Amino acid sequence: MFFAGVELLRYPELRGQPVVVGGRSAHQPQKLPDGSHRFFKLRDYSGRGVVTTSTYEARVLGVFSAMGLMKSAQLAPDAILLPTDFESYRHFSRLFKQAVADIAPLIENRGIDEIYIDLTDHAEDTRTLAQRIKHAVSAATGLSCSIGIAPNKLLAKIASDLDKPNGLTIIDSESFVERIWPLKASKINGIGPKAAKKLVSLNINTIADLAQADASMLQANFGLSYANWLVEVANGRDDRPVVTFSIPKSMSRETTFERDMHARNDRARLTEAFSSLCARVAEDLQQKGYIGRTVSIKIKYHDFRIATRDLSLPDYTNDSTAIRRAAGECLKRVSLNEKFRLLGVKVSNLVREEDAAAGQPLQATLFN
Amino acid sequence: MNIKINRDTLLKPLSSVSGIVERRHTLPILSNLLLEAKQDKIVLTATDLEMQISLSVETAVGGELSTTISAKKLLDICRSLPENAEITMATQESKIQVKTGKSRFNLQTLPANDYPVMTKAAGATNTVIKIGQKSLKRLLKQVEFAMAQQDIRYYLNGLLFEVNGNRLNVVGTDGHRLSFTSTELGSSYEKQEIILPRKTVIELIKLLDESEEEVTIEVASGQANFAFGDIRLISKVIDGKFPDYTRVIPSGHQNSFTVDRMMILLSMQRASILSNEKYRGIRMVLTENSLKLISTNSEQEEAEEELEINYAGSALDIGFNVTYMIDVLNNVDSENVVFSFADANSSCLVTVENDNNYKYVVMPMRI
Repeated sequence: MFFAGVELLRYPELRGQPVVVGGRSAHQPQKLPDGSHRFFKLRDYSGRGVVTTSTYEARVLGVFSAMGLMKSAQLAPDAILLPTDFESYRHFSRLFKQAVADIAPLIENRGIDEIYIDLTDHAEDTRTLAQRIKHAVSAATGLSCSIGIAPNKLLAKIASDLDKPNGLTIIDSESFVERIWPLKASKINGIGPKAAKKLVSLNINTIADLAQADASMLQANFGLSYANWLVEVANGRDDRPVVTFSIPKSMSRETTFERDMHARNDRARLTEAFSSLCARVAEDLQQKGYIGRTVSIKIKYHDFRIATRDLSLPDYTNDSTAIRRAAGECLKRVSLNEKFRLLGVKVSNLVREEDAAAGQPLQATLFN
Repeated sequence: MNIKINRDTLLKPLSSVSGIVERRHTLPILSNLLLEAKQDKIVLTATDLEMQISLSVETAVGGELSTTISAKKLLDICRSLPENAEITMATQESKIQVKTGKSRFNLQTLPANDYPVMTKAAGATNTVIKIGQKSLKRLLKQVEFAMAQQDIRYYLNGLLFEVNGNRLNVVGTDGHRLSFTSTELGSSYEKQEIILPRKTVIELIKLLDESEEEVTIEVASGQANFAFGDIRLISKVIDGKFPDYTRVIPSGHQNSFTVDRMMILLSMQRASILSNEKYRGIRMVLTENSLKLISTNSEQEEAEEELEINYAGSALDIGFNVTYMIDVLNNVDSENVVFSFADANSSCLVTVENDNNYKYVVMPMRI
């Protein structure tokens, strides 16, 4: 929704209409001499892109994130199609985070449009403080936001989803049972579709059901650690701190081809795409100041099966050639007889380059 | 089809071949071993498609049998049976019954014909060399620890076997240190080199004994065959170019000292306790007649060991990964070892007093 929000700031005339963001720059709106815009419709689209986001009006028509654009065109042929413009979204993301940081600096990044804020040390009345944050975000970006305030991250996340758009929900230990327990268990971040389905089969539908479930039955079905966690979250307990700085686990780039590719027949194009993925990951690492030593590849076959392989290098690197070489080794270990639709490259096991450079012993090598 | 065999006769060959069977494999038959028995002989074969070990035992089995069974289960059963138990094995359709006294085990089998047996490569055999089991085992143990493990430079994940004239040179390296050894052969050969995979090397060391009995090594295209005692081992070789090791073995390092191996080993081990857990750096500080080993870790803890040595070379302060030093000291059998240096940026050469052919080269670490 954040992306759609940014697009509506740019094209306010689209407010109230079904709008879908997805695909690439081919469907850039054209500016007409009178200053108005000519937009593409979903029906104009052909290809295999997916919906990045859709406005509430488009969702009413059944168009949701991650749906194929061709499929969504059948549901809403007249919906406006806008190309995804990550550059702008990143810009607005920085603006909104800066606006919040000016009021409450203890922020944990949760992606482009989501953050946790630690308000423990703010004496100000909670509701007033929340309003102040909302105003600051609106003033900086023109966008509204939904805020959930609760004793911990688990509940704050659920609360922020309860009232959208432009909502404010405050949950405390008194309102917890009344507001949270009736919700579906799948509302908890960490109970995915598979776990939710299994819970339903065990007759556990709501968070209240989960809180009242027999713990040993949960252990038998989910294993000790997940069962433990389920019991904790169902009772609203979560002691994870707001992590204001963290080293990313990995950096990756992947690409979905507009048609299924074959290793032999499309060799030239694939070689180029593969090298470019490696170069982009290397660029990401360099830009953010990290080096990593585990290189992985991901391949999604025509039937959506996914294969991944990884390789750990003797030394940390952010060099595109070294990444390309290691990724090439990984690629040798997957079957390339079948066509595939997606190729990805990831570097993990990251450390900050400056930390690594300072005082890191350097082992000399025998050859070269 | 059924046979009888003594538990103890079966156990040793069974454990010898089972070593290479992969626990988890996509091909179910690879967790099995091939069991073939005929009148007075039983042959066990295991493979992981990269190498294969066959072991034959002469023993009256009183029948015939040819099938494949889970290596691990058969080994576990034999191990836990009482000593000298007489085992009867009888196949029935897709199962085999293993019976002794009042114990009975019904195991699944897969057809012997489906077993992916590796055969000796056809065509001309390039080189056949013969060497005593004990000598080969010693050569392998001298260099095996320096091989790389899962290195992207796949040709380092094995040992170089180089026959040159009447010499057999064996080299292992992970790119940071290199272990070289050599022995004289009975006759002279054209130059030939192969890279033997890591797993093959480790299995060979386990299988070779301390006897003077000969091992026949045949090198054919892409393959090495080892025959000794009742064992036949076939291994693929690594297709690649081993780096030129002769370039990195130094000669003329002037600053050297001789030291009791156990004494410096124990000092290294003690000092290593407080070395950085990740980088394992240790400083060797040489002054006249003195060697200090100094280590520090990320918590600013420090260890220092001082050894009295006979040293008249230049003063030197040089760092190493202590693991590389402990490795060599653990794997050679000489009473004294010799360390030689050029300067703080060059390699260190470790040699031993009881074997002129052995050389170990370690690159320094800038700490």
